[in-house]
Amino acid sequence: MIEPFQLPFMGRALAEIALLALICGPVSVFVYARRLSFVSDALTHTVFPGAVIGFVAGGLEGVFLGALVAALLTAVVLTVLTRGARISDDAATAVVLTAMFSIGVVLVSRRSSYTSDLTSFLFGRLLTVTPQQLAETAVLAAVVLVALLIGARVMIFRTFDPAGAAAAGYRIAWIDLWLNVIVALVVVAAVRAVGTILVVALLIVPAAAARMVSDRLAVMAVLGTVLIAGAGYAGLLLSWTASLEYGVALTSASSVVLLLVAFYLLLIPVRLIRSAGART
Amino acid sequence: MSTAVEYRGVSLGYQGKPALTDVDVTLHPGQRLALVGPNGAGKSTLIKSMLGLVDVLHGDAAVFGSDPKSARGRAGYVPQTDSLDADFPISVRRVVMMGRYRRIGWWRPARAEDRRAVADALDRVGLTDKAGHRFGTLSGGQQQRVLLARAIAAEPRLLLLDEPFNGVDVLSQEAIVRVLRELSAEGTALVISTHDLTMAGELADLVCLVNGRQWAAGPPDETLTAGPLRKAYGERAVL
Repeated sequence: MIEPFQLPFMGRALAEIALLALICGPVSVFVYARRLSFVSDALTHTVFPGAVIGFVAGGLEGVFLGALVAALLTAVVLTVLTRGARISDDAATAVVLTAMFSIGVVLVSRRSSYTSDLTSFLFGRLLTVTPQQLAETAVLAAVVLVALLIGARVMIFRTFDPAGAAAAGYRIAWIDLWLNVIVALVVVAAVRAVGTILVVALLIVPAAAARMVSDRLAVMAVLGTVLIAGAGYAGLLLSWTASLEYGVALTSASSVVLLLVAFYLLLIPVRLIRSAGART
Repeated sequence: MSTAVEYRGVSLGYQGKPALTDVDVTLHPGQRLALVGPNGAGKSTLIKSMLGLVDVLHGDAAVFGSDPKSARGRAGYVPQTDSLDADFPISVRRVVMMGRYRRIGWWRPARAEDRRAVADALDRVGLTDKAGHRFGTLSGGQQQRVLLARAIAAEPRLLLLDEPFNGVDVLSQEAIVRVLRELSAEGTALVISTHDLTMAGELADLVCLVNGRQWAAGPPDETLTAGPLRKAYGERAVL
């Protein structure tokens, strides 16, 4: 069970997933509590044109920077757009999502030479994570964890009781920007490994699954991390075994996400038993 | 004696549009002011203005002698419970601790004195045994008492309560009234919005009758009478 991970590329893939698990567990709890699923989805899509522009400007090295700039820009734009009550959060988010994603598609279709590289951006390349990419993920993970530690308490206050937090003197827009930037950084960190389409699963499924088992935010965060790490390990092993022993081409990132969703489904009965217990 | 709240000819509104006008009210420490009026009369607007969350369009509004915004640290706020997500995974103790966050700061851990303040506040509202329960599992009245405890934990000199008796059982109502009387005896100024005229008459030293504008302000026996009430609630009001 450990053997495949002694290969450098498998070991790096596992390390990448472990780092992502560390940040996606706790961040998914906030995404869940603030009901930011759609905002996370938007961020995963707006990162795409940034990556394309970065690629055009600086090749593969430029992808990371391009994605980072696009993600941070989206975080700011979404915070500003959803602040006034004139348009609904959903509508504003959808406009930003579709506009940015179509820009990305237009840019990609202009030239065919880098289509395959950028397609990998849509679906991820977990098995080709380089040591440098791993280091970049580690730096982003550290930044995200520090930002979470500083902001967690106030973000929980704002999430639970926006009016009360405003009355206590907190600037709601700044707290929202704080969380949006954190989510943006997570998306940038995770997008190369699992792709823009699947990264949203890491931000939504862990907390949703953990909520079925626990009423406590801290427990949910830890459980979310464990679930991703478990799905990461089992998913990599599954795609390895399927490809090598059965000749079935099973992409690693999709296996990880599939198993994560499977964990979610397995936990549904726990939720049902718990709520039945609470009623009696 | 310094004033807790002093409004002179104040108009309040959002984005330049007035929501409540002609507010003249003076509240001293230890006094209990009831804001009375029908739904949508501007009671919440008036309360939020005392936290600097609503624009003052005209007049002079002062809280502890200065701009309401700068007085936020000394004002506590108890929102309506139905504005909160009952499914939110958070314990009662954690909710009350929120009252201490401004003192604790963004990321430092809570100190012994913070935990003591939380325990004391829960004790005052009679919910010590519920500290570990999830907030959403409590009854409406108990939730209201938790929010009151949270405000107490912040040790405010001015306490603002938005409809604290809405959907509250008799037991919780008695507990809330008892705590409010204690707090004002200790010198805390209280502003309580309510549409319960009986409760306003029993609890308040001062009543402010509002509906789009201020119609009357003064002691309950002068304001909660047929004349002013008809003005605020309309001629068809059943008194």
